[in-house]
Amino acid sequence: MLSFYTFILFFLSLSGLLHAKSSDGDSVLVVVEEAHKKDFTIFFDGLKEQGYDLTFRAPKDEKPVVVEHDVPAFSHIILFASESKNFAKDITPQSLVELLSGGTNLLIALSQKQTPLASLASEFSLILPPPGTPLVSFFPEREDPPSVIPIAAPASSLILSPGIAPVWFSGVAHALGNNPLLVPILNAPPESFAADSEGGADVLVDATEKGGEGLWAGSQLSVATGFQAVGGGRVTWVGGVDMFSDKFAKKEISKGVKSGNVEFGRDVAAWTFQESLVLRIDSTTHHLVNSTTPLEQYTTNDNIVYTAEISRFNPQTSTWQPYSGITDMQLEFTMLDPHIRTALPAVPGSPGKYSVTFRAPDRHGVFKFVINHKRKGWTHLHSSTTVAVVPPRHDGYPRFLSAAWPYYAGAISTSVGFFLFSAAWLAGESRESKKGKGGKAQ
Amino acid sequence: MPTAFPLPSDLSPATVSNTASLLRIVALSLISGAAIASRLFAVINFESIIHEFDPWFNYRATRVLAAKGFYEFWNWFDPTAWYPLGRVVGGTVYPGLMATSGVIYSFLHALNLPVDIRNICVMLAPGFSALTAWATYMFTKEMKDESAGLLAAAFIGIVPGYISRSVAGSYDNEAIAIFLLMFTFYCWIKALKLGSALFGTLAAVFYFYMVAAWGGYVFITNMIPLHGLVLILMGRYTSRLYVAYSSWYVIGTLSSMQVPFVGFQPVSTSEHMAALGVFGLLQIVAFTQLVRSHVSSKQFQDLLFVFAVTTGILGGVAFVGLTYTGSIAPWTGRFYSLWDTGYAKKHIPIIASVSEHQPTAWPSFFMDLQFLIFLFPAGVILCFHQLRDEHVFVIIYAVMASYFAGVMVRLMLTLTPVVCVASAVAFSSLLDTYVDAAEPEHAEESSEAAAPSASKKAKKAAAQAAAPDTGSTLTDIAAAATPTKKGEKPKTKAIYGLDTRLAIIMNAFGMLAFFVFHCTWATSNAYSSPSVVLASTNADGSQHIIDDFREAYYWLRQNTPETAVVMSWWDYGYQIAGMADRPTLVDNNTWNNTHIATVGKAMSSSEEVAYPILRKHDVDYVLVIFGGLLGYSGDDINKFLWMVRIAQGVWPEEIQEPNYFTPQGEYRVDDMASPAMKNSLMYKMSYYRFSELFGGGAATDRVRNQQVPKVGPTLDYLDEAYTTENWIVRIYEVRKEDLLGRDLKSANAFALGKKRKRSKPVSRRRAIV
Repeated sequence: MLSFYTFILFFLSLSGLLHAKSSDGDSVLVVVEEAHKKDFTIFFDGLKEQGYDLTFRAPKDEKPVVVEHDVPAFSHIILFASESKNFAKDITPQSLVELLSGGTNLLIALSQKQTPLASLASEFSLILPPPGTPLVSFFPEREDPPSVIPIAAPASSLILSPGIAPVWFSGVAHALGNNPLLVPILNAPPESFAADSEGGADVLVDATEKGGEGLWAGSQLSVATGFQAVGGGRVTWVGGVDMFSDKFAKKEISKGVKSGNVEFGRDVAAWTFQESLVLRIDSTTHHLVNSTTPLEQYTTNDNIVYTAEISRFNPQTSTWQPYSGITDMQLEFTMLDPHIRTALPAVPGSPGKYSVTFRAPDRHGVFKFVINHKRKGWTHLHSSTTVAVVPPRHDGYPRFLSAAWPYYAGAISTSVGFFLFSAAWLAGESRESKKGKGGKAQ
Repeated sequence: MPTAFPLPSDLSPATVSNTASLLRIVALSLISGAAIASRLFAVINFESIIHEFDPWFNYRATRVLAAKGFYEFWNWFDPTAWYPLGRVVGGTVYPGLMATSGVIYSFLHALNLPVDIRNICVMLAPGFSALTAWATYMFTKEMKDESAGLLAAAFIGIVPGYISRSVAGSYDNEAIAIFLLMFTFYCWIKALKLGSALFGTLAAVFYFYMVAAWGGYVFITNMIPLHGLVLILMGRYTSRLYVAYSSWYVIGTLSSMQVPFVGFQPVSTSEHMAALGVFGLLQIVAFTQLVRSHVSSKQFQDLLFVFAVTTGILGGVAFVGLTYTGSIAPWTGRFYSLWDTGYAKKHIPIIASVSEHQPTAWPSFFMDLQFLIFLFPAGVILCFHQLRDEHVFVIIYAVMASYFAGVMVRLMLTLTPVVCVASAVAFSSLLDTYVDAAEPEHAEESSEAAAPSASKKAKKAAAQAAAPDTGSTLTDIAAAATPTKKGEKPKTKAIYGLDTRLAIIMNAFGMLAFFVFHCTWATSNAYSSPSVVLASTNADGSQHIIDDFREAYYWLRQNTPETAVVMSWWDYGYQIAGMADRPTLVDNNTWNNTHIATVGKAMSSSEEVAYPILRKHDVDYVLVIFGGLLGYSGDDINKFLWMVRIAQGVWPEEIQEPNYFTPQGEYRVDDMASPAMKNSLMYKMSYYRFSELFGGGAATDRVRNQQVPKVGPTLDYLDEAYTTENWIVRIYEVRKEDLLGRDLKSANAFALGKKRKRSKPVSRRRAIV
């Protein structure tokens, strides 16, 4: 026991030293052109300071390989080579999706060029404007070119830290398909639109004539979008790699107000690399009321207690801590369709514990306890436990029913009658009996 | 009186009867041996294995019973069957077969004979066939005499019609049910003959056993009342009938209600109402008999008339009223299909889809019964000669069973015993006539006897005078062999000479010999295939075993998680549960038509439609049977139309049978196949990568003799997981939902590196004009 504690302590101190904050691992592969590597020193240094172990690689380099012996070599991949048209063989849209299915997280920057990454974006239900049409905005009035836009963060965001200053953006915006897995992080300003860098306002005029049809404009467009894949991996698509650059980090929004790009980069990396909004189900148990042992099968109409323990990852301490903050979790008791769908509230006083008591339906079959909690930004929680619900045993039914008294009376009276008849028959004088009745009495 | 051949004259009657009874015992033992031995072809040609489909469930249930005991078996809820509905096995099964095996198993183990439960299951049917032979002997003995009984026992012992359901390994309910059927009938006849409540009770006990063992018990439930009713209508009411029927009905019904699967059916369904009605009628008739003995004839006539009319009307009204209010369930569909052979096809395709529910083809009567089928009518006619109560029974049985056997292949089984009995009666009458050594004294006398105006008295006197002359030995031998009233009815007609005798007898024995050859051939070639293992012949004549089914089932067993749900057409449900030990969606129990229709819909729809169904039912693997490579005709493509029909019964808007035919109305799988056919999951799974096997040559489906398209179907929602050596079983794994929330078709296209069409953002604004 002592050694266990020392081990934990050692581990905690070690992790404290390293500041490793991801719940998923610290190794990061950065794919960036050698020439641009120094443009992002603030962002990369920030990551290193947090304890991440960065490995750099040019897009066309063969080494270090992404997948070694069928095992992903890195926990996270940053693709800042947004303008590269050619990548080494092991970085293809297909292999990136494959990596994502294995749990690798991706931070991908797009550009206005037609690259393999742009075609990959459409697989994530991002709809990109035609090549060569960056996002432009003439508001607010400023010295910078119209394609360099300050974007104010949304008032309330789960991913971005509260009170973040507006961030500089330059690149392409993208429209979002109706994929529920998308997590919008930063939307384009309402006055912005996608246009040829030279075309300028002509596009607007054309579009107005068509009544706005086909115009890539407005706050429905997004410049940074997260994607929570079904397997748990996270991907963040950013419209322009410059958002993470030292240039924008240092650039002031207005006199004396620093841009929020550094914070933005940190928040996006924290979400993408599974630091923030990470939940997990530690355990689920089920048992009868007044019992503690889980059963393989329950009887119809049993009262069942279902309990789930949920933890949230705390990046400050790199530990999983019980989390009682979910208020809208539901439990389903499902056979083909949910037979019971009930709230699964947190148990006051025991952190991280959610519990509900319900009566099993009056229907036998193979049921599943299903937790399927999907909220934008948060890790999806899914748990399914199969149990059988069986009819009562042959001796599990009530023994005597008041409704059955006519039958009991019938049985008793027949028995008594038979006894009396036999007694009378045996005691009575011997004479020839009637054929029919005599036969029956035998 | 002259004899055709010399008879020993120095035998005492006791010796004769003792020898006869010893011979009978020896003969019965030999018949039992032959019955058992002829059922062992399957074990010798293949191995000790459970056959077909239903036996696999019975075997699995028996294992549970043997391992966990009866009460656990009774309460067994099988969560792996009919996933996710589950099956309450204890309440939906006829437990007689499993209980029998369980008792034998416990008994042998109590004797420290550690016999494997599988071997008990495999050998149960042959063992019980020996008992059936004995029961048939007892039954036929009541009809005619011991020699007819022995013949009947020999017939039933080896007749293919019964062997088809009772070879070693055919561990089905029928294996013990035919014995119970015959023994119940024997007890009933005995009870009726003696007016014995003891035999009536015995009949009830065996009836109970039968109810616990086979759904076909309804046959007894209706045969005995029908016999009783016919006897009453023939004016043959006796107190013996009253005692026999009342004791059988009351005890039999009460005990049959103890079987959980039967429950309250005996008092609530139409199939059982005949027995109740006849019981009531018997009470009325008994009462009128009682009244008749107390009142005068004229009064009685009036009384009887009023009484009969009122009870008739009251009973009819009560029955109709109860049926109308639902207290008595109307006839079930299975029952209707017995009267109207087209009914099932129209209304309940699931019943019609079973091959053994098809009407019987004529050749199969000859195949299953050989020469018995033309001796059978002769035997029935001979029953009219004496027409005792028990002969009436055989006649009714013959008529009913012939009809049912004509309607349904499966009911050939109930016809077989009565054919054996009637044929044995006919055959033994023939032998009695021609083996009997007695010859008529004079030609004149016999011609006189033939004349219609022959003086009966004189003839009788002559015959009676002749009888003692022939010596006690002859009569005794005859009496011992055929104890019917020989002495009372002396022969007036007989056969002259040895030549005629020999001609007929040799012919008769020739028929018997051919019968034996036929039975052996039919058993070894037609009825001994386990159907789990197939046999074919190599070019050099040696046997080649095709073991694809077990290969596939063991693959599932070894390579998939224990909870992996396997979807297949219902035929293979029991086998998958028994051999692969994996949950199945539907199986041979077929209790839930909608669930089967769901599987049918998934199989006959396109991938996109089928996929949500598969996911909703947690299907991990889909298993199809494909015979196109080997020419195995019982495959799923040939059964496919039934899946379509059954699915159409539930979803008539989505699945339509005509869509699966070409415009010319042909059922094709080649280039001409209809789009619905080509897109169906079943077609795709069957022919996926099939043409690759022919390396660019013409890919021919050997079952349907059609060339399948060179470019085979593609699968987006399923992955091929396993295909057996001869491609008979193909297993596909259902893909999980896409990681990125795409539909799997586009995910697959992406994985193959196909370019996606550019999409435009959905305009959320309306154009302002």
